[in-house]
Amino acid sequence: MDSTENSGNGNGQNKYGGEKLKSELLTVNMGPQHPATHGVLRVEIKTDSEVVSEAIPHIGYLHRCFEKHCENIDYRGNLPFCDRMDYLAAMHMELGYCLAIEKMIGTEIPRRAEYIRVIITELQRIASHLLFTGVYAIDLGAFTPFLYCFDQREKILRLFEEISGARLLYNYIWIGGVWNDIKDGQLARIKEFCESFPAELDKYMNLVGQNKIFVERTANIGIMNAEMCYNYGATGPVLRGAGVDWDLRKKRPYSIYEELDFDVPVGTGEKGTLGDCWDRFAVRQQEMRESLKIIKQCLDGIEEGPIMGKVPKVLKLPKGEIYMRTECARGELGYHIVSDGGKVPYRVKAKSSSFTHTSMLPEVAPGLLIADFVAVIGSIDIVLGEVDR
Amino acid sequence: MHKEIADYLNSVVSGAEAKALEAEVGDSSVLVASEHILKVCQALKDSDEHQYNVLQTISGVDYPEGVGEDKTPVIEVNYMIASFTKNTEIILKVRVPRGDDENLPKVDSVCSVWTAADWQERECYDLVGVEFVNHPDHRRILNPYDWKGHPLRKDYKAQEVYQGMTVYPEDKQNIPEQDFIVEQNKLNDEAKAAAKKAREEAKKDN
Repeated sequence: MDSTENSGNGNGQNKYGGEKLKSELLTVNMGPQHPATHGVLRVEIKTDSEVVSEAIPHIGYLHRCFEKHCENIDYRGNLPFCDRMDYLAAMHMELGYCLAIEKMIGTEIPRRAEYIRVIITELQRIASHLLFTGVYAIDLGAFTPFLYCFDQREKILRLFEEISGARLLYNYIWIGGVWNDIKDGQLARIKEFCESFPAELDKYMNLVGQNKIFVERTANIGIMNAEMCYNYGATGPVLRGAGVDWDLRKKRPYSIYEELDFDVPVGTGEKGTLGDCWDRFAVRQQEMRESLKIIKQCLDGIEEGPIMGKVPKVLKLPKGEIYMRTECARGELGYHIVSDGGKVPYRVKAKSSSFTHTSMLPEVAPGLLIADFVAVIGSIDIVLGEVDR
Repeated sequence: MHKEIADYLNSVVSGAEAKALEAEVGDSSVLVASEHILKVCQALKDSDEHQYNVLQTISGVDYPEGVGEDKTPVIEVNYMIASFTKNTEIILKVRVPRGDDENLPKVDSVCSVWTAADWQERECYDLVGVEFVNHPDHRRILNPYDWKGHPLRKDYKAQEVYQGMTVYPEDKQNIPEQDFIVEQNKLNDEAKAAAKKAREEAKKDN
């Protein structure tokens, strides 16, 4: 900034005169231990007073060599490692990995297992979006919604604990099916949840989404339009928030999604511009409703039967490679698995959507206030475990 | 589908040497000459017929023993490209000589085609060790900036000391020769042998 423009008394003689005042960019390190970054993300911000002029994300603080581990452990043994990528939607990570391997060995999955998988992953999507809603409200200064959201999320986690034995990292979906059967009582509880939950969703929308302060903080902030999303390879709620009707469950159906009836919510720019933070928030809220719809259909259609398909005891993949994409809570997850015909994978590469979305931060940051930049980081809902793998 | 794309690439980019690799299991792919990757990607994005508008990821695979019949050590760079308008996806491959730490293999950067390539190529450089020519910000991304070596290479050995800290100290190593594992394996073997003996005896009795 040109310092002579705002000189104190016109001729600049005063000791507070313009030529004495310095104006230069200040470098601020946001993170790696910063509550608003949802983990160990460090963003190096160059600011001019409160305005961000450049943001450089530094990642890798949570790098645990997932891909290197996979090259040393057999196919089944890798499943728990998949969990630990996106620890807030661990079921989705398992599902993608299992689907890729099942496609390679051509296993047929029993119908009951397919239904259980869909029910569980959709519940997981709700749990993940609930966490987003609560934490995003905290990012923007509202504490109460967090408690409401975690109250509901707890119901889902309790159920998962009963079914799989763990609250966050499940190792529940196995190659060929699922580990444990769901009992009728648990299905009834899921049904009960489905009936009571829509009222809660209305509550969040009234309490958070329509809140004047929340709208002011999110509408017209951090606009990611469709062009930019394509260019950066963004997927999931970020892409749908930009008004693009793209959902892998519809476009390239896997599992039994083809038979299910649901809509794909897209951003409309209702409160501001298409593709702003509010749109991404609203898309996630509506997605929870769609998930409920899917779960209800699965509860009606679930059949009796086995929960594991026929998988050889010593699992060897035929020589070849596969790239499998699934729609996770945060966007598309892709597994590129290369096999040399042995018991362990030759190479596993995970394409994570959080990684892609983090790479968009430098593009949207310039010109934002620091507090608004926090709103943008929250709105893309990154999980650092998935960014760093 | 892969055959058509290979034909299309050969007709648009001279010297692309595009070849469809049809797989019996898993995904097929298209192999192109590494020096023309930038032109090939641009052609795939610009063509009205294909419209590959999204780069999903770049995945490097190390083959120190070579691929298939060909025994030259190569690194394969896989570009997962998708079209969100036509709803198609394709794996595009290039193969480059493997090189070593001082002399990394070079591939043209495709950042000018898709911005997504920026971070994906940085990751590929960091983990597999492929240098991307004309990359705007060629740094490591997941490992520390002063780390040595490229971990996803098959012959990778971690440096012994990093900033005064011992990397992978001996007492933390989880190797099969360790006492408690050897003991555990011995017990397991004994239990298995005993069970087998019992089964065989049961059979004899019958």
